[in-house]
Amino acid sequence: MSKQLKKIAIYGKGGIGKSTTTSNISAALVEAGYKVLQFGCDPKSDSTNTLRDGKYIPTVLDLLRVKPKVDAHEAIFQGFNGVYCVEAGGPAPGVGCAGRGIITAVELLKQQNIFEELDLDFVIYDVLGDVVCGGFAVPIREGIAEHVFTVSSSDFMSVYASNNLMKGIKKYSNAGGALFGGIIANSINSPYQQSIIDDFVQRTGTQVVEYVPRSITVTQAELSGRTTIEAAPKSAQADIYRNLARKIAAHTESRVPTPLETEELREWSAKWADQLLAIEAGELRGERVGI
Amino acid sequence: MSKKLNLNTPVVENREQRLGTIVAWEGKASELVSASAYSCASCGSGCGLCELSSPFTQGSVCSEQMVECQAGHVRDAVLIQHSPIGCAAGQVAYNSLYRNGLRNRNKPVENIRVISTNLTEKDMVFGGADKLRQSILDAWERYHPKAIFVGSSCATAIIGDDIDGVTSDMTEELGIPVIPMHCEGFRSKHWSTGFDSTQHGILRQIVNRNPKKQEDLVNVINLWGSDVFTPMLAELNLRVNYVIDLATVDDLAQMSEAACTIGFCNTLSSYLATGLEQEFGVPEVKAPMPYGFDGTDAWLREIGRVTHREELVEKYIAKKHAEVKPKLEVLRKKLQGLRGFTATGSAYSHGLISVMRELGIEVNGSLVFHHDPIYDSGDPRQDSLSHLVDHYGEVNSFNVSNRQQYQFYGLLKKFKPHFILIRHNGLAPLASRVGIPAAPLGDEHIAVGYDGMINLGEIILDVLAHTKFHKNLAAHVKLPYTQWWLDQDDPYILTKKPELIYEE
Repeated sequence: MSKQLKKIAIYGKGGIGKSTTTSNISAALVEAGYKVLQFGCDPKSDSTNTLRDGKYIPTVLDLLRVKPKVDAHEAIFQGFNGVYCVEAGGPAPGVGCAGRGIITAVELLKQQNIFEELDLDFVIYDVLGDVVCGGFAVPIREGIAEHVFTVSSSDFMSVYASNNLMKGIKKYSNAGGALFGGIIANSINSPYQQSIIDDFVQRTGTQVVEYVPRSITVTQAELSGRTTIEAAPKSAQADIYRNLARKIAAHTESRVPTPLETEELREWSAKWADQLLAIEAGELRGERVGI
Repeated sequence: MSKKLNLNTPVVENREQRLGTIVAWEGKASELVSASAYSCASCGSGCGLCELSSPFTQGSVCSEQMVECQAGHVRDAVLIQHSPIGCAAGQVAYNSLYRNGLRNRNKPVENIRVISTNLTEKDMVFGGADKLRQSILDAWERYHPKAIFVGSSCATAIIGDDIDGVTSDMTEELGIPVIPMHCEGFRSKHWSTGFDSTQHGILRQIVNRNPKKQEDLVNVINLWGSDVFTPMLAELNLRVNYVIDLATVDDLAQMSEAACTIGFCNTLSSYLATGLEQEFGVPEVKAPMPYGFDGTDAWLREIGRVTHREELVEKYIAKKHAEVKPKLEVLRKKLQGLRGFTATGSAYSHGLISVMRELGIEVNGSLVFHHDPIYDSGDPRQDSLSHLVDHYGEVNSFNVSNRQQYQFYGLLKKFKPHFILIRHNGLAPLASRVGIPAAPLGDEHIAVGYDGMINLGEIILDVLAHTKFHKNLAAHVKLPYTQWWLDQDDPYILTKKPELIYEE
């Protein structure tokens, strides 16, 4: 009998540090002795690069393109400390349908019982957070992932992407889909950035799993084609990722979030924009936002 | 040992993935046997099989239509096509098959209950899940069915509508199985994946998981053919449970209670029969298909073994041999010197060629729409093509061609049969235009068993009586092909030299 497999999806706006964070979580989990598969669901196919010395791997959809019959095992590669890496792949920009690509790739692995066969502890889907069509929502549907986390900075566009994702989760939650685990607050280096995220999670009935500061260590590690866990294992940043991974491993209860409506979100961000201007101008308005 | 079929996900694995199915090939039947997975064990999945590819396709069928002709023909269920309205075009034809089928089996004649969600531009942009939910409620309101099937379409599969979520939600809300079937046409190059998709859904959501065994019940996986199995199996003290077409939801549910599962065509029954054995322990009768003496004898003996009715089977075999052989002699004399040709589904054709050879008819060429290098059970006793070659000899030109009319023309020209056997539309008109009559075996059971040999012989004689009409027709019609193609000897030349189509 196989052990209990924990299925997690991590979403985030493009460029927000989602793959960096996901790969560091995967690296920290394998370091802690778990068996982990990271599944990149972004047509750019670079989710798992830092787990494999910066190298691209052939994707599931590359196989589909050339073979009449796909053996999903051929799309599975091992990286740092034995972590399993899979990239869904997808069409070139501007052609085909990337969303259908994700549906096809996820289904191929499911049908071939790959996760059970590898006897995994964790499957982590790293998904492009602009959930632009049904395909990108596949990982949050019934039977794929159980817990969804978003990576978000305090940047408004990034918060909007998280809010949108929560809308998707709320929609699918009736039909047995995944629930929301929390926000991984990325690039948080100042108290007001933390306040913005804190305020947002409070308004949406969710939580912050971890605050991850922006760090040059991460950039250096990435440029060497590695995760921070691998390249700078003794750094403070690596410990932050380890801590995050521990929290995710221990996480059991996810919830249906209460995303803000468009108008509410606009008002909320306008309020914060005022506040930020005031901070820039050196004004103090502590009573409005509690700083 | 891992299970053969994965029923944990609502999406059926398509035929090319499971079985290595191909849709174009030419060569001898024996060569196809050796290149297929039963013989080619080292490669496991028939990868020794080199599929030809044509620069274009003239005709095919959609997996979704197979869902219409199976799930749409369950008598107290409703099928919802979650699709733009174009996919509903098949409803007319499937209604006619349904009504005729009911009449043939002496059941009350009625119309099919198939509903399209009629998706429009707006639904493609904003998603069609709400419309699907509404259609399920409408179907419930209107018919109070015992199950609701929901078939996907290319459009909904591309936009990623969450059919699984809606159906699982509605299953709970309505308290009946609401079954998603992923049958979008582009998922498979061969339409038989549509059969598998329906059968997958039935195995997952309808078949009774706490069966009370009925030791005399036999599942017969068929379409809408005449009731030839009831009298045959009655001689073995067995009762028939016909599935999936024209069955009720209860008939489908009780499949797990049966003593065994049989079929008339491996192409159709492969997935369901293997699934019933894997999930519910109902043995699939692993034997050649019931065509000709050899096939029927072996098939009956295996039924006898599985259901512990060996003596009854031997009695029946002896009785039928004695009864049929003299009739067959008469027919053989009448059919002497004739050349026949089949153009049908894959496994079915293996059976028909066997029967024609029993009748003394020469069959040098044939055409099947696809080829499965292995069936789901993986059991070599079901290797119907090798059974044909081993017991009835070589077929020199055994063609796999996915309803490519231009190739079909080339084959008819090459083999000059006196008649052809078909089951699908669109083939007889071409044959007529080259002066060849076609026997349309709409009743798929016509050639089954010992009586099937007599039935088929008589049908062929009937059809041959019309030969003059077809010759006349041929003399007065013009084919649409260029002189180059009319003179071309190799029907597969374009798969070998596709650049020829761009030459003057």
